[in-house]
Amino acid sequence: MKTRDPNMNLLEGIRILDLADEKASFCTKLLADMGASVIKVERPGGDVSRKIGPFLGDFPHPERSLFFLHNNTNKLGITLNLEHSEGKRIFRRLVDRVDVVVESFSPGYLKDRGLSFEILSRTNPKLILVSVTGFGQEGPRSQYKSCDIVSSAFGGQMYVSGSPSTPPLKPFGEQSYYAASLFAAIGILLALRKRNLSGEGEHIDISLQEAVVSTLEHVMIQYFYEKTIPKRQGSLHWNNSFCILPCKDGHILMSLFQRWETLVEWMDSEGMAEDLKDEKYKREEFRQNHLDHIVEVLERWTKRHTANELFELGQLMRFPWAPVCSPEKILESPQLKSRGFFVEVGHPEIGTFIQYPRAPYKFDGCSLDRWERAPLVGEDNMEIYQRELGLSEEELKRLSSIHAI
Amino acid sequence: MNQGILKGLRILDFTWVLAGPYATRILADFGAEVIKVQSKKTAGGAESNLTGYFSHWNRNKRSITLDMSTPEAKEIVLRLARISDVVIENFSTRVMSNWGLDYERLKEVRPDIIMVSMSGMGQTGPWKDFVAFGPALQALSGLTYLTSFAQESPLGVGYAYADPVAGLHAALAILAALEFRDRTGKGQCIDLSQYEAMCTLLGPALLNASANHKDISPQGNHSDNVSAAPYGCYQCSGADRWCVIGVFNESEWESLCNILGRPDWTREERFSHLSKRKENKEDLDRFLEQWTLQHSPEEVVNLLQQGGVAAGVVQNAEDLANDPHLMARDFFVPLEHPVLGKTVADASPIKFKKNSRDKWKAAPLLGEDNRYVYTELLGFTEGELSSYIEKGIIT
Repeated sequence: MKTRDPNMNLLEGIRILDLADEKASFCTKLLADMGASVIKVERPGGDVSRKIGPFLGDFPHPERSLFFLHNNTNKLGITLNLEHSEGKRIFRRLVDRVDVVVESFSPGYLKDRGLSFEILSRTNPKLILVSVTGFGQEGPRSQYKSCDIVSSAFGGQMYVSGSPSTPPLKPFGEQSYYAASLFAAIGILLALRKRNLSGEGEHIDISLQEAVVSTLEHVMIQYFYEKTIPKRQGSLHWNNSFCILPCKDGHILMSLFQRWETLVEWMDSEGMAEDLKDEKYKREEFRQNHLDHIVEVLERWTKRHTANELFELGQLMRFPWAPVCSPEKILESPQLKSRGFFVEVGHPEIGTFIQYPRAPYKFDGCSLDRWERAPLVGEDNMEIYQRELGLSEEELKRLSSIHAI
Repeated sequence: MNQGILKGLRILDFTWVLAGPYATRILADFGAEVIKVQSKKTAGGAESNLTGYFSHWNRNKRSITLDMSTPEAKEIVLRLARISDVVIENFSTRVMSNWGLDYERLKEVRPDIIMVSMSGMGQTGPWKDFVAFGPALQALSGLTYLTSFAQESPLGVGYAYADPVAGLHAALAILAALEFRDRTGKGQCIDLSQYEAMCTLLGPALLNASANHKDISPQGNHSDNVSAAPYGCYQCSGADRWCVIGVFNESEWESLCNILGRPDWTREERFSHLSKRKENKEDLDRFLEQWTLQHSPEEVVNLLQQGGVAAGVVQNAEDLANDPHLMARDFFVPLEHPVLGKTVADASPIKFKKNSRDKWKAAPLLGEDNRYVYTELLGFTEGELSSYIEKGIIT
């Protein structure tokens, strides 16, 4: 493994144990990609999130989950059985050597195994424990089962997404897990600062539902300040400022109110402005009240162009438009290519490189250019158990034979 | 305010509308002193101090006024930068350098300054000057395309999600840079692309496209990647009332069938295994919806969760505001605003179990902190302050 120059490594020296499943593996990925040392602790056989697709070559296998590979870059990986008394003992030894533990078990799971925050803090009083669960550690719903669609529904994403004629729609991907992971990662760095001041550890309680509610933009504001309940309205943005229209070859997201006169001139130069040239349309209020008609006329025009034509010409005239891109198109984005957004990560065991998206920030004083693929199941058992904990080879064999690791 | 973990950390905040203010709100919630630079000219629309939108995103912050188009403004900003830890902006590229306030200049007055630029596209690249708001970034990232039903034209997420996403990444980047500064004494210039921030949350789909060279199509609430069936959103009794259900393993499936009064389904060949249930999901969904339509979403969810099945109520804003679970967790907090009166804010989802929550303050009025910042922090005399005000520089 390439080592990082400590003087150029953002999160040098921060040590994290990652016990999380799909709900929070992205949290420690964020920190590992910034240079923290993260050890992923998986149950023997591998974490459940290795079963989540898509899979490399469409072949379901624990080492081929692209979901797992994406969310576990730059981590080391060991296996450990927390259901086993010897496994627990080893876990305690590991916990005593780290700054942070991230977990996503049901509330009470660790406590029932004698591994509560209070007990872990006795031997590591500076420990920061982060628990990411569907509904948080306390409250009437804390024992409810959750998954992305449940957090999305309970958190308010779905009610406002979709169109009036469709069921509510869950945002694509595991957005509740990512939002919660971002809050959790921020919480960890806050807790580390607090620890520097007070010398004390902390238990951070993150709820997927709350993470979702916190990222809803206008939804709660409309309710608290205007007592209105935002509803889903298709691709028309909640304040009517954007909508999606068909093009020759796809779709374009357009603003409906900005730079109106320039827009009408442009359409008129192609003989397609129709009655939008009328003086009355210059008033925004009139346009708001005649939105359906405007969209119809616009659509006749957008259909004569490709999405990219409209995007690039439009941007030259400062229209904040964008084509609706599929993932394949994103790989071709000249902007992302120019900024080196996709990095080649080696997968020597299958003899290939895969393009991964890197972190979205560049630090001029630090390098974030170490990219190691996610660990194979138990890949670093030797490194951690022998070199870090000093277990002998015989001891490792014994622990393995009793299924402790 | 000013008693939390980030006490003593000063952030000079040039950001507006949402991505930037979202980032600084997180830091202000934990005690950072965020000084928002406004002016009469810029405090309009969503940046107008007395709107609900502004008040929601700018609690716990301070506001000063400064007309950045005046030549004197630059010197004042440099004086402020000298006593700040972080300068953050989300303008188009070149705005700060046109003012003579790029990182190199700020570094001269404050060598360990952390400067964060979070434009739509990032500071470099052929699109660096493109204008992009949240919905456009969602379209560019693939989120809009994939958040759609297969047969329909793209729908996308019903709000600007890319802004909070960029804001969260920015807050994380700032804290990481502070960690680095504490260790090395060095500041940092951070170039955050909101476009890239949104793309990273589509990671597995991007890997699928790059590694498998696949055309990926939208699937509505279904997904080939989820190993659950039934899995989806089902209509319930009442107007526009819905629930979601996800059944991941055999014991959950048995439990669901028992609750529905159809234990015989567990013995049916077409539902005998997860892969079979996925194959026959249309039948399954139809049967399930016949049952959910007879119940309120709360009834469905109570019954299923008691049986150990993941299920949820599709909640709207009113449901959320009155959600007993969120209330038990003190997720909504009252804040008294000097003009708007009693307002409600959402708590931070970063819940520290040992630390009690800091005392919060409602969003500032325009220029509310001019006196504190200009006289107490910068040491302007009363005469200087009123002369700047008269000249329309502090406005």
